Amino acid sequence: MKIRESRVAATKIEAQMAPMIDVVFQLLIFFMLTLKIIPVEGDFNINMPIGQQATESPDITPPPIKVRLIANEDGSLAGVQMNQRQLGNDSLAFDRLNAEIGNLVGRRDNPFADELEVEIDADYNLHYRFVISAVSACTGYVSPESGQVIRYVEKVKFAPPRRPAG
Amino acid sequence: MRYKKHESSVIEPDMTPMIDIVFQLIAFFMMVTNFEQTQADERVKLPSDQLARPPVVSREKVLVINVGFIRDKEGEKTDPTAYVFEGDSKTPVLEYGPRLKEEKRVAEALYGPGGHKDMIIEIRADAETPTGLVQELIKLAQEAGFEKFSLRAKQLIR
Repeated sequence: MKIRESRVAATKIEAQMAPMIDVVFQLLIFFMLTLKIIPVEGDFNINMPIGQQATESPDITPPPIKVRLIANEDGSLAGVQMNQRQLGNDSLAFDRLNAEIGNLVGRRDNPFADELEVEIDADYNLHYRFVISAVSACTGYVSPESGQVIRYVEKVKFAPPRRPAG
Repeated sequence: MRYKKHESSVIEPDMTPMIDIVFQLIAFFMMVTNFEQTQADERVKLPSDQLARPPVVSREKVLVINVGFIRDKEGEKTDPTAYVFEGDSKTPVLEYGPRLKEEKRVAEALYGPGGHKDMIIEIRADAETPTGLVQELIKLAQEAGFEKFSLRAKQLIR
């Protein structure tokens, strides 16, 4: 009897790479096209409850710190005031405001440091960027050593809008 | 004379390094692609600030309102009126009240009666928007029954 020798050929199966590469490139192109580089955004909370006067607690609370932002006709900043005190109108005005708020909050004899509230009263046509700078100056500062945010005042609210006459 | 026997001359390039790189690229693009920021409108040029840090815990009930101007390719304003942008439609800020009331009804339908009170109105306003208009918008939202607000800004890294 003749025994047949079944010769098994070397069974190295080579996977078809072409379709996979096609799909992978499709995916790559999809993700490249949908990529939108968006800058990191953050936010500031604003404390504006409805009917605040009616629900105000009977406890004695300190009056809000009044920050007044005055605008030029073109919407640029004409001046910053804190509790009637002029702080200037240059880029350092908000640094001065930050320092003033820091002094108020940091005073050890201030029992209301946690309850302090800031009321921002801005001219109607003032550019919004200055309001954000003022809110930021009142909210706290970034520690240069640690890079952490040190909070000053959590409660920031707006005064009623100053509508232009007519 | 002896002849050398040539093997078949189909050169198969080694694909492995290329596939490695391509997978790395895909992984990179998948990581950096952010599908959540779809509510942000590119027409709004946000002010930037150092203290504007993203919230640690992501918020659930948020209504984003984009306020900005129509600008040309150079970024110059072509219309001095500030609009609230919603996709392709635009509404002047002072006429946005009815839309906010509609949003309140939607919020109540989704989260039950009073559900709109926990909703945070995120205002993404252009840096050049008159502050009075932002205040008017907050007032309109208050009249519609919303109570929580946040002002959005770009994080400035020094």
